[in-house]
Amino acid sequence: MLRFILQRLIMLVPVMIGITILSFVLLQIMPGDPAERAMGTRASAEELEAMRRLWGLDLPLWQQYLLFLKDCVTGSFGTSLFHKLPVSTLILERIPYTLGLTLYSTMIAVLIALPFATIAALQRGRLADVIIRQLFVLLIAMPPFWLCFVLILMLALNLGFFPTGGVGDGFLENLHRLFLPSLVVGLSTAALIQQSLRATLIDTMKADYVDTARAKGLSRTQVFRRHILRNSLISTISVVGVRISWIIGGTVVVEKIFSVPGLGGLLIDSILARDLPVIRGLVVFFALLVVLVNLMTDIAYSLADPRVSLK
Amino acid sequence: MKQSIKGLLLASTMALSFLTLAAPGADAQTLRVAMGGDAVSLDPIATSDNGSIWTQLLIYDTLIRPDKAGTGLEPGLAESWSISEDGLTLTFKLRDAKFSDGSPVTPEDVQYSLMRAASEASNWGRFFRPITGYKIMGAREIEMTLEKPFTPAFNNLALFSAAILPKALLEAQGDSFFEKPVGSGPFMLKEWVRGSKIVLEANPHYWQEGKPGVDKAELEIVSEGSARVIKLEADEVDLILDPPLNQLADLDAKEGISVGQVVPYRSDFVLLNNTKAPFDNLEVRQALNYAIDKEALVQGVLYGAGKVAGSAMPVMSYADPALEPYPYDPAKAKQLLEDAGYPDGFSTTMLVNSSNAAHRNAAVALQAMLGAVGVKIEIQMIEGGTMWETTKAGEYEIALSYATSDTIDPDQSIGFLAVNPERANAYHTQWQDLRLNELYDLERATVNGDARGAMFKEMVQILHDGAPYIFLYHPASAWATQDDVTGFEILPTSNFRLEDVTITE
Repeated sequence: MLRFILQRLIMLVPVMIGITILSFVLLQIMPGDPAERAMGTRASAEELEAMRRLWGLDLPLWQQYLLFLKDCVTGSFGTSLFHKLPVSTLILERIPYTLGLTLYSTMIAVLIALPFATIAALQRGRLADVIIRQLFVLLIAMPPFWLCFVLILMLALNLGFFPTGGVGDGFLENLHRLFLPSLVVGLSTAALIQQSLRATLIDTMKADYVDTARAKGLSRTQVFRRHILRNSLISTISVVGVRISWIIGGTVVVEKIFSVPGLGGLLIDSILARDLPVIRGLVVFFALLVVLVNLMTDIAYSLADPRVSLK
Repeated sequence: MKQSIKGLLLASTMALSFLTLAAPGADAQTLRVAMGGDAVSLDPIATSDNGSIWTQLLIYDTLIRPDKAGTGLEPGLAESWSISEDGLTLTFKLRDAKFSDGSPVTPEDVQYSLMRAASEASNWGRFFRPITGYKIMGAREIEMTLEKPFTPAFNNLALFSAAILPKALLEAQGDSFFEKPVGSGPFMLKEWVRGSKIVLEANPHYWQEGKPGVDKAELEIVSEGSARVIKLEADEVDLILDPPLNQLADLDAKEGISVGQVVPYRSDFVLLNNTKAPFDNLEVRQALNYAIDKEALVQGVLYGAGKVAGSAMPVMSYADPALEPYPYDPAKAKQLLEDAGYPDGFSTTMLVNSSNAAHRNAAVALQAMLGAVGVKIEIQMIEGGTMWETTKAGEYEIALSYATSDTIDPDQSIGFLAVNPERANAYHTQWQDLRLNELYDLERATVNGDARGAMFKEMVQILHDGAPYIFLYHPASAWATQDDVTGFEILPTSNFRLEDVTITE
């Protein structure tokens, strides 16, 4: 196991170098120049050149790339042109909210999907199954921004159960404030989990060892809990793993509507401002996260399923 | 059974809703504001976004400030001043003011801050570089000299980027000063959670007695306009900026909420690439101006929050109240097009900033109006930064855009919008008028007064007649508050100060 982890971490190096090259090159091609974004209507051509020189943007490309690589290795991931802070500081400020949203929404998703998938699988073909499946199709189809506003209007404005957005101080207050955005993200995650879990449950229920277990004398509930559910949950791990990689950057709309200062918002703002170091740093950071999440998913999978060996 | 469930539900609802109540201190009055963008940095020479500017205006002070009407200047850190006849010497007498750490504001601080603002590292350098000499005349007096007369130099000292910073602290701490800045403004920075909120506390050493009217100000960052409106309705904030224009009427009608608006230094227009046919033809450009029903645009796109524009210049000092906007006359437009050789009209592509909701709507209206005179428009949505690059490179036909003025001196705007060659070459239209260029060089060397006013009047008339743009409107800036908030307004420079705001119990 340890050797496997080490192998994967070593493979990280060429992958990350590839990503730094790709993000660097792509950003050079992208139209828009930070000096113009900063001073546009105010500066003459010479003044813009002076600003670019100050920011080191006039250095030869290979030199800029090496400086960028150095920043990635030393952990700062670059320095923001406008905030004048290391990108890592900007990321660290926002990561608790993004991670919180990710974990909270996944928990909600599992809590919702599990019972419904179970009922749907056990009642396969019957009315309950049909209703549940249609309900979850509806959940996937609902645009998240619409759902955000519906929840804000119903639960926050009219009933006053929750604040309309923002983040607070302390764990408990954030648990309260992040509930609605996590619910929105969690509902679509739940739909994905429910789909795959229900299908896996149905397949597992047909397995031979299930019949054996019943024949042995175990009750329906015991068979379900010990054999069917536990084996089916394994496939859910992959679904959750892929989904988590997406949530980290993909919930910008929900974040913006609920004023949650997450990483997605940072990416969008720095793209619009052409804060090149932040964009580059974030791209590399996201790639790192995806690789790590994939690694953890594989490890979790192998721990859960003894038939799977890591190679 | 039903009664106890109801009771339980009621009890838990009340318990949960208490969780959402803000818990203000018993004596401290906090003004809760919701604004659309976070500050990027608190360094006055390094920023140009609203979030940063608004926050800096609350923490720092300038020598002079725009007055409430926005056409004149009032004393700030300078209690009085004089300008020499030849315009080459500016003398300021500083008032007895202190920074928030108790240290006095000295002429050394003024010199240091303004030289910093004029340095190469400053985004705003060109506004302050004409001041070439500083002489400290006493404990509270400073003299600034210019090499050549440059009238805007004085007005530019009212810019937020001319904020006076404490020299000793900046020299000691460098850029890290801006993480815990010290200024002489009405508030001090207490806490900044990036992307979430900025918490400010009243400055005990503020030079205006009895101000600010509140003890704390919390600026919450809520980037969605509709979310800001919801927060105001839920009484989670006292004041919101830039509510969506289509919700203004509803907000005003709501009990307990008041709405305000002002037309700032801003003008919206369509850029016409004067180097490409048929936009190189004056008659065609004028025809396009006659084809637009500007009043309908103000009502339909801005929901009435704005004024019709006769020019691409924002309405500021020396604006001519008698300037006639092009009237809505589609018949005349068609006639002009025919005279120019386009009896069947023509087709063209219009660039529109995809993230500007009002412009998206205006584009559709313009497409219909111009279509009625035979000009077929294809709308192309494009991201803001890319649009700037594209128009600058001249790779466009027409583009929907706008301009604002950072300073109360109209020199900045006319230089950007109408002068060619200059930094933007008439805002990328490449239109040129030699008489206007002549007047431009003259006005910057003429002291403020009727003579300078007459030059601006002539320049704006030339711009109007030459029609390098399709002039549209001056949109208003709006805000909304709870009824118990008094004393808030937005200045024509699109900025605001909070020291006069009070919350009546």
